[in-house]
Amino acid sequence: MTEPTAGGIFGKDLLDRCISCGFCLPACPTYELTGDEASSPRGRITLMRALETGHLDDGDPTLVEQASFCLGCRSCETVCPAGVEYGALLEQWRDHQWRGMRRPWLARVLMAVVRRAWLLRLQGLVRRHARARAREGSPALLLGCVERGLYPEVSRAVRRLRPEVTAPAGQGCCGALHAHNGDSASGAELAREIGARLPGRIVTTAGGCAAHLSAHLGRDRVKELSEYLVEVGHLPLGEVRVGGRRTRVALQDSCHLRNGMGVTRQPRELIGAVADYVELPNAGTCCGAAGTYSVLRPEDSRTVLAPKLAAIEEAGVDYVVAVNPGCLRQLRQGLRARGSRVRALHLVELLYMAEGSTGPRE
Amino acid sequence: MTALPRRIRDELVAIVGAANVRTERGDLTPYARDATPLFHAYPDAVVFPGTTAEVAEILKLATAHGIPVTPRGAGTNLCAATVPEAGGIVLVLTRLNRILEVSGDELLARVEPGVTTARLADAAEAAGLCYAPDPGSRTASTVGGNVATCAGGLRGLKYGVTRNYVLGLTAVLPTGEIIRTGGRLWKDVAGYDLTRLLTGSEGTLAVITEITVALLPKPSHSGTGVGYFRSLADSGRAVTAVIAAGIVPATLEFLDEKCIDAVERFAHLGLRSDAGALLLFGDDGDGEMVTVHLARIAEICGAAGALDVTLAGSVARAEALLAARRCSLPALSRLGSLTILEDATVPRPRLAEMVDRIDDIAARHDLLIATFGHAGDGNLHPTCVLDPDDTDAVQRAHKAFAEIFAGAVELDGTITGEHGVGAAKRPYLADRIGTDQLALLRRVKNAFDPAGILNPGKLGS
Repeated sequence: MTEPTAGGIFGKDLLDRCISCGFCLPACPTYELTGDEASSPRGRITLMRALETGHLDDGDPTLVEQASFCLGCRSCETVCPAGVEYGALLEQWRDHQWRGMRRPWLARVLMAVVRRAWLLRLQGLVRRHARARAREGSPALLLGCVERGLYPEVSRAVRRLRPEVTAPAGQGCCGALHAHNGDSASGAELAREIGARLPGRIVTTAGGCAAHLSAHLGRDRVKELSEYLVEVGHLPLGEVRVGGRRTRVALQDSCHLRNGMGVTRQPRELIGAVADYVELPNAGTCCGAAGTYSVLRPEDSRTVLAPKLAAIEEAGVDYVVAVNPGCLRQLRQGLRARGSRVRALHLVELLYMAEGSTGPRE
Repeated sequence: MTALPRRIRDELVAIVGAANVRTERGDLTPYARDATPLFHAYPDAVVFPGTTAEVAEILKLATAHGIPVTPRGAGTNLCAATVPEAGGIVLVLTRLNRILEVSGDELLARVEPGVTTARLADAAEAAGLCYAPDPGSRTASTVGGNVATCAGGLRGLKYGVTRNYVLGLTAVLPTGEIIRTGGRLWKDVAGYDLTRLLTGSEGTLAVITEITVALLPKPSHSGTGVGYFRSLADSGRAVTAVIAAGIVPATLEFLDEKCIDAVERFAHLGLRSDAGALLLFGDDGDGEMVTVHLARIAEICGAAGALDVTLAGSVARAEALLAARRCSLPALSRLGSLTILEDATVPRPRLAEMVDRIDDIAARHDLLIATFGHAGDGNLHPTCVLDPDDTDAVQRAHKAFAEIFAGAVELDGTITGEHGVGAAKRPYLADRIGTDQLALLRRVKNAFDPAGILNPGKLGS
């Protein structure tokens, strides 16, 4: 055993906040899987404290494993009586644990790719995401690094529903990816760059990006789409019908939108306006996508997803709506692999479908 | 660093499989503590058994080699009952997490010890029934842990505590025998009441692997109200009068002046700043009875000099009233990062007197100790908030709590109402039960656990 050394890895106030009551245990998806204190938020904070005081060194296999096994969903923050900012602690932990070459190589590749603005632009050309020049006083849509390539129809649907939202080219990645993968300095820098390029209000269709950007640019400047729509009094038109009845639609919360920003009501209201809303018993728990988690730990990611898919099937819904591209990808892949007839959609796609059932908006 | 010989490790692996035995320092670190501040001790191994038979094999092995075993559920206890003070094995029972049965016909449920209290309560509710004990940590705590510590809760006065609901247990003796105490019976006097003895035995006598609990029909209605008083003495008079009037409310919670102040600064609920005590009351049952009881309680509070009484007309309003109580710990924990939450308990009529003593002790030791708790059953939660780096203050807090426990005993009370003795209250136990009884506890312990391997350093050991 090495001699204890001084840390400086964690903010003292952040680490001291935890009173070890254990109320976080049932909220944690990885504790739910294992029943092992080490994979609970409280257990991980005990590990962080041991790292900080030098009782464990950063090569310790449990520290390495637990820093990676955590989904970073921040569900624990919502039940914590002491107000521990677990998400911030996890960022600091990974900054240290995953510095330089210790970061999983796949995460390094992804982080390098999304920093190439020209690559992101190329994706846009090929995939034809929305584009609209910035206008003074108009909110700008964050195109995202993943979504613009994977789901360009999402940004196009936003523009059709809300033409006042611009979609300027030349935006990079918001930096959430970096912050969650052990490089919070780059995460902050990229967020500030986005803030400079999109100087007014920013609307995003990704809960994860919304939480990261709002932490750096301020809560007032950043709105997740559902939050924006409700705030501007958007009136959803039409309804989505299937086989002569209104569709039944469930929601998968975005963890960072729910746990980081406290937005839960708005997406439900909007769905309820155009379809029969069905609340899943586990709508608020992580789907296992968790940013890069589904790529870095595919097996664990699928294990976390499994009860979610079972609940979706059980609920007898036609669609399940996501408000974050990672969740959307996770649900689509999972439902397809299961041979399910339920389809996963982004919220804005559902609203656009509903509007398509009526005449053009006045 | 592990003191566990290689061959013992191999035998543990042979019993539960390699995935369920941990001996690396990192894996042991989270098990060096529970929810109790200031108590730390590393185990040598953490073992996760999956069946009663595996528990029996592990205990036989431990007894044969004199290895300490500390059973653990979710580790939410506040008396260091699950801190492995003597090292050895921490036996984690979270894999035993099945609800085996919920019977509406017999009004009972059978569960494994790793089921959380909230899951049991939800399963009962889904069957139109109610599991009455509701300890503060119910969402996280396990039923096994609740039984081992005889956990209390907010509804103690009307509904009792965990011991009042345990009908039967399956438990493994340290020597490996599997015993079944009690069962599906409300009446059964065959033998000493070992079910009650094991309830609250804090893992020092046997390891509980299955629990049969009694359920109640779910009350159809509930209601809540709140009263502000000039002083705790005034609210105490109101509580006495309520009970004298033949009403036993489900909830009777109080906050002292310091708590009201901390909650208001934290949550801005609009609590009255001129009040010396806040009394939260509630009842459940059939609709009309609840309404009548609440109105009568409000009337009695008024007669006892309440500054203000409010009844909740809706669930949302009731939630708002309950927020003050729920916010107590969050609000207090933000005033300092070391939060010591205790549970000295006195007979109900002496509650105000005890809080006065606590205030006096806190002032003499220059500490912030705020008190909230259960006015119905005299169970107080004096909560000391301080900076953990201030070693002098921590020492003063130890002295202050020793005086608080002594004070409670002087008032015919006890050192712990619902948290347990564990390692934290062990030094004060003789003051409460006397040396003869303590010696008897030791003989009982010895009868169950001749090798002294089960949770040494706690309770009767």
